[in-house]
Amino acid sequence: MPGLTDLQPIHTAPESFIKRCIFSTDHKVIARQFLWLGFAFMLIGGIEAMMIRWQWAHPGEPVPILGNILFGASGGVISPAQYNSIFTTHGLIMIFWAITPILIGAFGNLCIPLMIGARDMAFPKLNMASFWFAFLSGMFVLASLVSPLGPGGAGWTTYAPLSTNVGTPGWGQTWLVFGIFFIGLSSITGGINYVTTVIRLRAPGMTWMRMPLTVWGLWLTAILNVLFVPVLGSAGLLLIMDRVFGTEFFVAGALAGQNAGDPIVFQHLFWIFGHPEVYILILPAWGIVGDLVSFFCRKPAYWYRGSVYAMVAVSILSAVVYGHHMYLTGMNPLLGKSFMLLTLIISVPAEMLFLNWLHTIWKGNMRHETPMLFALGVIFVFGLGGLTGLHLATISTDIYLHDTMWVVGHFHLTMAAASFLGSFAGIYFWFPKFFGTLLNEKLGKAHFYGSTIFITLTFMGQIVVGYAGQQRRLYDPYFYTFLEHLQPLNQMTSYFAWALGLFQLCFVVNFFWSVFKGKPASDNPWDVGTLDWSVSSPPPVHNFDPIPVVVRGPHEYGNPEVIKAIGRDYLSQTETYPPPASEPERIVDPVSEAGK
Amino acid sequence: MSRFTQTLRALPATLLGVWLINAPAYAAVQPEESAWSLPRDVSVHGERIDWLIVITTVFVSILFVVMCYIMAVAFFKHTGDDAEVHYDHGTGKRQITFAMTVSALIFLWIDGNLFYFSMKDLDEVFWNYDLPQQQEDVVLIEINAHQWAWDARYQGPDGVFNTADDIITLNDIRVPVNRPVVMQIASVDVIHSFYLPNLRMKQDATPGMINPMWFEADETGEFDIACAQHCGAHHYMMKGMLTILENDAYEAWAAEASRRSQLAYDESNAELQWGWPWKEI
Repeated sequence: MPGLTDLQPIHTAPESFIKRCIFSTDHKVIARQFLWLGFAFMLIGGIEAMMIRWQWAHPGEPVPILGNILFGASGGVISPAQYNSIFTTHGLIMIFWAITPILIGAFGNLCIPLMIGARDMAFPKLNMASFWFAFLSGMFVLASLVSPLGPGGAGWTTYAPLSTNVGTPGWGQTWLVFGIFFIGLSSITGGINYVTTVIRLRAPGMTWMRMPLTVWGLWLTAILNVLFVPVLGSAGLLLIMDRVFGTEFFVAGALAGQNAGDPIVFQHLFWIFGHPEVYILILPAWGIVGDLVSFFCRKPAYWYRGSVYAMVAVSILSAVVYGHHMYLTGMNPLLGKSFMLLTLIISVPAEMLFLNWLHTIWKGNMRHETPMLFALGVIFVFGLGGLTGLHLATISTDIYLHDTMWVVGHFHLTMAAASFLGSFAGIYFWFPKFFGTLLNEKLGKAHFYGSTIFITLTFMGQIVVGYAGQQRRLYDPYFYTFLEHLQPLNQMTSYFAWALGLFQLCFVVNFFWSVFKGKPASDNPWDVGTLDWSVSSPPPVHNFDPIPVVVRGPHEYGNPEVIKAIGRDYLSQTETYPPPASEPERIVDPVSEAGK
Repeated sequence: MSRFTQTLRALPATLLGVWLINAPAYAAVQPEESAWSLPRDVSVHGERIDWLIVITTVFVSILFVVMCYIMAVAFFKHTGDDAEVHYDHGTGKRQITFAMTVSALIFLWIDGNLFYFSMKDLDEVFWNYDLPQQQEDVVLIEINAHQWAWDARYQGPDGVFNTADDIITLNDIRVPVNRPVVMQIASVDVIHSFYLPNLRMKQDATPGMINPMWFEADETGEFDIACAQHCGAHHYMMKGMLTILENDAYEAWAAEASRRSQLAYDESNAELQWGWPWKEI
């Protein structure tokens, strides 16, 4: 069996600009590429969110600033079809081209090799391909945005038959489905890479139960990606066949020919992917939070194994609960009730995770630095989001709340707000490993308080109007008599959303200033013991030389005995304790040594 | 035991007490048109759903407040130079038992309550189509959705659908008060969702499928019919009107409407024949 160093030979660092910065196989460069891609699309998706909020606050009035540029033909007013395109592409862009690249593409690439002690990914070229598939899919989305007849407008769920030529003719929707297919390809190639890397390239001594929770989160996400994104891909291909080649897999009703298809099949295919997808987007954030609460409270992560088991349980359960999106499709009652019970069971591992986080921060020594604040923000908004999900898991209450703004508020709190704040927790924390500098703390704190307060108010505003009965995806909600009185509340929520948008300027300024003008960070500015902080900031091309030997878990903080003995409140994962009396031996890789 | 842990222990009980004191007031007041309330409930069975939504919201609010309280204390007190770190991996048998017990208790309390009362509601009302259909005075309506309106069809005096005496209306559905109404819902083009906010009812209208739904109103008045599923550019305009009438007024309207339908009936007009034989459910 080849040793780890044979699996990971050291190549000479690439010299040319193209090999170094564009077609690079270095996981750290690919991580930065995913980060930039995610930021670019988050800007587009964010502007769209602001326009949706304008429509709900002042329906049918010209959009200030952007109106004349984007909707010149209608005097700056968003038309109903344009509105549909805006919320459709907002959802898709935020999920597939903002959160996915940042949380999975950027952190997965940066953290997995660095945290498990590998020199790169298992398949560096596949890794590069993963980014360029994502880039290509992004181009398809841009093509959709400028298509004649407009971009797709069938909602992010692209329910057939609305997403077939019956509901949305033209190339806009087709480009979008192509985009989804190719970002899926990117997720699968990336996923195969992550799964293999974690299984094969862990440093000696890095047992499964010594991996940081971040790696656990990313690894489980990668497994879910590999298992369930292909289902979305097949649904997308069938939909493309329906749109381009005139098949009728998903078309039914008066407009179908004799061999009518079944629209419900599309929903099954979509949600058997779609429900794992929401965990795909949150597991990395859970992992990051699990680590950060320990790092910044200077306390071991409470019941580490419990957190791991809980995350594994959620990953498994995520595959068998998807039917709760379809309670009102005329589902068989027995099936519906089974999905209800399975969905409710997910709250048990979720509660265990929350209990572990709360136990970890309890009686610690909390450092109020920006990454920690964002981690607390994740717990806060995910608490709200998770608890409002109970009403939707239950069929009786879902009858009324299904397809209302309650659903929108709930999934924004969980997979938007929690993933968003989780991404920022990671960016503030690993910034030295991304760019070699630290972000400014004062701007970071302003960014945190603004973001957390207004993101909560925005999405709780949606929960409240959903409680009052407002359906989602309405161009003008006040067309309905029973919703007329909600306009002032929706306007208020829009102001909160715009405030949230403005507060992101703190981050933009902070980010560019720190990347280009920031002071170089030390190797380990947060006093953390995981392997990623044992290398320089930013890390060298091959990360580790020699490959480290791990002797303990990732969360060894605040041990009074250690503090007394060495005057420091943490032990790194490679440090032997008690310290050897004489000069320590050179740490070698026992696996490769044995192979010689 | 510190003063803080004492407060912490008293917190859930205090919150529950506050809620219990306010609960009768909450139940008695049916708020009118407030942004913070459910729409007026005019159905016989909707109060089951309302109660479950409200009680679950109260329960989860208690959990959330406790969580925030713990976070706030950790944030403000367990910090700074004098904070003593409680070195603990949380792997003791007692600690694991505690975590699992708390999770299980919360599950039994909140999820158990939801599951039990939802199952009860589903079996007794939502999926119990025998209940309305066994009653003599049941009203049967076929709903056919299309972009962007609701077609409705009543069987007329002959008791058979898709015949000359059927009442056919567009976006105008009239039902009698205190009589069960069973609907069969379909669509011709894309997926819609037939949504009656004031009756706490909703059911998807899918092309190629016929989905049943039933309700019973207990107040008269005029209420919105809404579409809850995104169905294209004018989804937001897919509004109909539900009129709940006294029984006599309803019968009078139905007789007159059926008479007019027969006058206007044209066997060769395929547009009038969209009905289907009533499906056994």
